[in-house]
Amino acid sequence: MRDLKHLQYFEDLLQNANNDLVKKARADGKVCAAFVCENTPEPLFNLGNCFGVRLFAPNTGSMDVATYYMTSFLCETTRALLERAIEGGFNFADCVIAPDGCTMINRCIENMELLKAVESGSDRFFYEHMELPFKADENGVRLMEVQCRNHILTPLSEVYGIDVSDRAIRDAVREHNEICDLVNRIGDLRKDRRPRITGYEYAVLVLSTYVCPKYLLKDRLSETLEELKEREPDDREARARLVVTGSEMDDPEFIRLIEECGAFVCADRYCFGSLPGRKRIAMNEDEDALTQVCRHYTYECQCPRQMNMEKFYGRKAYINEIAKEYLADGVIYDQVKFCDPWAYERLSGSTALREEYGYPVLSVDRPYNIRSSSGQMRTRVQAFIESIEIKKLREGKAGTGGKA
Amino acid sequence: MGYFGGCDVGSTYTKAVILNEKGEIAASTTIKSKIRSEESAKLAMDAVFEEAGLRGPEDLSYLIGTGYGRNKVPFADENISEISCHAMGVHVTAPEVRAVIDIGGQDVKGIAVDTDGTVKSFAMNDKCAAGTGRFFEAMARSFEMELPDFSKLSLKARNVIPITAQCTVFAESEVVSLVGEGKPVEEIAAGIEMAVAKRCFVMAKKAGATDSLALTGGCAKNDGLKAAIEKVLKLKVIELKTDPQLMGALGAAEFARQKGAGR
Repeated sequence: MRDLKHLQYFEDLLQNANNDLVKKARADGKVCAAFVCENTPEPLFNLGNCFGVRLFAPNTGSMDVATYYMTSFLCETTRALLERAIEGGFNFADCVIAPDGCTMINRCIENMELLKAVESGSDRFFYEHMELPFKADENGVRLMEVQCRNHILTPLSEVYGIDVSDRAIRDAVREHNEICDLVNRIGDLRKDRRPRITGYEYAVLVLSTYVCPKYLLKDRLSETLEELKEREPDDREARARLVVTGSEMDDPEFIRLIEECGAFVCADRYCFGSLPGRKRIAMNEDEDALTQVCRHYTYECQCPRQMNMEKFYGRKAYINEIAKEYLADGVIYDQVKFCDPWAYERLSGSTALREEYGYPVLSVDRPYNIRSSSGQMRTRVQAFIESIEIKKLREGKAGTGGKA
Repeated sequence: MGYFGGCDVGSTYTKAVILNEKGEIAASTTIKSKIRSEESAKLAMDAVFEEAGLRGPEDLSYLIGTGYGRNKVPFADENISEISCHAMGVHVTAPEVRAVIDIGGQDVKGIAVDTDGTVKSFAMNDKCAAGTGRFFEAMARSFEMELPDFSKLSLKARNVIPITAQCTVFAESEVVSLVGEGKPVEEIAAGIEMAVAKRCFVMAKKAGATDSLALTGGCAKNDGLKAAIEKVLKLKVIELKTDPQLMGALGAAEFARQKGAGR
């Protein structure tokens, strides 16, 4: 396929957490709220004069300094974030707001705070640690509401004078939904047998919506959507269509590696992915905005930190649903090394998807920076694709999505 | 007569096999890998062309690359992962085998083979080189022995001295310490083989091995390891009638024969 006009632009934005759009927003006089977890309500970081940036650490090399503080038993994402903070890579942030999404991200942010690793130059800089519900029910919604009020809205209002009114939240949700709509319309193109976009390109676009100020992204995303409508797809179908699901994944190179082996990544259910991370937030005028946002994040959450059995089984059913919707032939369960919640979920999920739902499943753990073991990962992925392809050829069928 | 090639460019050795239309091996070779995969592949292919009496790639109906340098094989029609190729190589050699452990230069793979030679499932070690060909090379170096001699050393042992370190570097220093203490070298070697055999246990389980398995890769020639696997894991190691190190290249050539038939 012909290169996307803005692909290089979006790729460049992903080379550094302090990218050009973050710099532009700060130059516009906006306050930057850095966050670190998919489970925190993103629109609350985009209120009034504030913009949210989800932290990531592209081009990570050695993590020795962070490992000294956090030990080698904690997940590589959190160590990479701490390392990048120590290197001065997050000095653009005016605050860091972290949930107890997992204990490892807690340790990471605590160390940042103890080491004074983020030096924004602002004497108003602050850290906040918030709690998130372990269950998706109305108690959980109320807990999240209190936590968001105490650890996001109040500090942003008191320290930086951000408008945290109900109207401001509704405006932020409207902007959030505009981005979600654009992303979803692009993402829907992946349902085609001969898609007009690659999984890698899509991963680049989606990731940029997490790590850049949204108001500066809209135009290029809209142009890209229009361009894609006219784009001529490749003649040949992919050897296999795959759902990638799993833990934190902020490196589109992993998706590129999978696709270089001949597959097409048709659906992305991982932290930083679009399913359900870019699902639009439904709002009504009757209930206050904060409650509705918190309800959305509580119930839509697909993170294994939620432990009620409905969620436990629901996560596997969700993978089955999207695999069918996006016509997947198989599933890759991916876990960044030493991620505790996903270590458990990867085992239970890959077993369930294989044995109960009938999908071929590849289960992998990977380093934060995929380039450090790309050869072995490529062998695994290629062998997986070959096994799917051979079975498809013998059964004379295309991707239909499991047996259930 | 049509000929079909498979070239397995591994991290340590490069192997090539040429099959005729009946699936019989017309030529095979194993050479030490060069730093550049293209060069390794070319040298190996030149050797099998000569052995088979062929002019060169133009005499092959189909050529498949495999191994770490699989996408660097000159003139290859396509590349296939070594996991699929080892499964197919073992299948054409011993169709009854359902579980394979491939111990290569820098990784270990457990492969469950379906009745048609395709991969049912597989597992692979990670970045660590413990229990791989590199590990054995380092151990042989500690004993100041050649690898073939080292691989038979443990067969003479009456006792086993356990090696606790799995890391290649630390295991080497542990071995040096034990040798320095005057421990019998064959018993230390038996400890090394035992440690690697136990490491193979995980792969064997993941490959679905119940009572037997086939070993492939260069380390499959290690008699001490085979004995340790049979003793520790209580699994029968099936003898392959073709050089186990050639299984990847053989599988690639068999795939080439299937895909290139009629060309």
